[in-house]
Amino acid sequence: MTSVRPKLKPETPKAVTAWETATGKSVWMTEVGTWSDDVGKAAAFTGDIAEARLAEALKQEGKVTDPYFMEVTETGGITGRETIRETIRATGPTVAYGADA
Amino acid sequence: MYRYDEFDARIVKDRVEQFRGQVNRRLSGELLEDEFKPLRLQNGVYLQLHAYMLRVAIPYGQLNGAKLRRLAEVSTKYDRGYGHFTTRQNIQYNWVALKDIPDALNDLAEVEMHAIQTSGNCIRNVTSDHFAGAAADEVMDPRPWCEIIRQWSTFHPEFAFLPRKFKFAVTAAAADRAAIAVHDIGLRIVKRGEQVGFEVYVGGGQGRTPLLAALVNDFVPEAELLDYVEAIMRVYNRYGRRDNKYKARIKILVAELGPEEFTRQVEAEYAAQRPHEKIDLPQAEIDRIHAYFAPPAFDAEDGTDAFEAAKAAEPDFAQWAEVNLHPHKQAGHASVTVSLKPIGGAAGDATDLQMEIVAGLAERYAYDDIRVSHAQNLVLPHVPVKHLYAIWQALDAAGLATPNESLITDLIVCPGLDYCNLANARSIPIGQAVQEVFADPKYQREIGRLHINISGCINACGHHHVGHIGILGVDRKGEEFYQISLGGRADEKAAIGAIAGPALKGEDVPGAVKRIIDAYMALRTSPDELFIDTLERVGADPFKEALYATA
Repeated sequence: MTSVRPKLKPETPKAVTAWETATGKSVWMTEVGTWSDDVGKAAAFTGDIAEARLAEALKQEGKVTDPYFMEVTETGGITGRETIRETIRATGPTVAYGADA
Repeated sequence: MYRYDEFDARIVKDRVEQFRGQVNRRLSGELLEDEFKPLRLQNGVYLQLHAYMLRVAIPYGQLNGAKLRRLAEVSTKYDRGYGHFTTRQNIQYNWVALKDIPDALNDLAEVEMHAIQTSGNCIRNVTSDHFAGAAADEVMDPRPWCEIIRQWSTFHPEFAFLPRKFKFAVTAAAADRAAIAVHDIGLRIVKRGEQVGFEVYVGGGQGRTPLLAALVNDFVPEAELLDYVEAIMRVYNRYGRRDNKYKARIKILVAELGPEEFTRQVEAEYAAQRPHEKIDLPQAEIDRIHAYFAPPAFDAEDGTDAFEAAKAAEPDFAQWAEVNLHPHKQAGHASVTVSLKPIGGAAGDATDLQMEIVAGLAERYAYDDIRVSHAQNLVLPHVPVKHLYAIWQALDAAGLATPNESLITDLIVCPGLDYCNLANARSIPIGQAVQEVFADPKYQREIGRLHINISGCINACGHHHVGHIGILGVDRKGEEFYQISLGGRADEKAAIGAIAGPALKGEDVPGAVKRIIDAYMALRTSPDELFIDTLERVGADPFKEALYATA
């Protein structure tokens, strides 16, 4: 299954993001179809290629969980109406926590 | 405190091993997420924004030193050295890896703790008054009844797949510190002569449809309690809406049928089931459970002189003692609120070191008893006043002595969009910004008792509907906005707050709250008239005016 997120048009550049199943870490699909926990490595896909990449991700259930499309710029940077959410997923809480708080 | 018998211990251990197998099958890809999700939820495991979250049950918020120390150790070993105490008196770990969770649960099982029924459509952790067994105003200790309900509801096969989650709260005091009116079932223990019984309230809740519970029975004798709540559960299980998640809570059933018809159906079910299946809890069993909650052997020494002397010598201590102590039924004792609301912190968070310090203080000075409050603080319920100064010094050094219990900076705040996968907006930074405005302890005391509650989405984990001032985060096309409500309260005069007007940008919230408070200070008849009383006396209009006034 995938997270319920806003629908994106086919031509809108999008990254495939998910959670690493073993750890829960946010991960993004790279240009070559591997997974990275560095949002900077997120690749932007459009159209049928994007759909094919998401379908691929959905088959990797043991490795990643709940893959979905996230809106990005043509170079893979976070953008769109979920920018705050996706930035927090990528870089962590906006507030200090634990011993740093 | 209740202690596990051999069966309890076995059940919890078996559950850990069962879950270990399920996790292994998930990691191998043998179980798909759709198959695994209900299993992990039954073990308190959520998948949040950037990590798994493990919610551990703390039945009615009851801890001791060993348990709190183990909670600290689990946060060190498997998480990032802190935990978040919740409005259900539980603890959540924000960063635990799925592969480690079975080991964490195994560590917790060693101190009789688990994560069972902390999620899913079942009966969740029973919450109660955090001063239970200590409060001067209670008719009896409500914890034995919380424990009886816990035992009855744990793995109850008939109630494992309810239409939706189900929450109980129990109080035994006139002053309701357990928010029973906003629970699926709220119970107030009362006495008629020597007979103990329950006022039973049904159908309260928050979320997208906030409703107050209706009184369906004003006296259910204690022996019949389980039969009676079972009848309620059966009516709900049969007629609760399973077709629509947003209408599936019992509050919707009660509202749709009307309290009278709902009560009639409960009474009919009760009458029908009683001849065949009555539980009628035997007195010996009631007594057996009560024995676990016998009060400690209270120290008879009168430490009042030393306490007064310390207050005279140390103004900061005096200020803390004025705010963070609660009257105790035993002479020479007080209940202490350990504030988890430092100015600029995240409400309800405690580091591993802080948890260890509180555990040590409880063991050394406070009869090894610790509670979690639904307002996201810790409580030492039984403290001889002669030890208060030593406790304050240790708490102060650990950042745990903010003198703000029930004051304007003692906010209830959900994790919000900084952690939560359901949130629409951040809660923690808004809470911090509001705290900064009112950081001066003297100013807070001048304002007096006032509850601000903040939720990052309509699910209302931050109880915004029952905050005197409620703040709800909403998403407006990708921007965080905040809706202010006024007049909610969670106590014995429970009320749902009313939305004041258009939502504000986050940066405008602290100023808006300040204008509301300025209006209150100008309107109140005396410093003894609390914000909520002034609001109820004059109505919301002057506050709305102030809220939307631009300088």
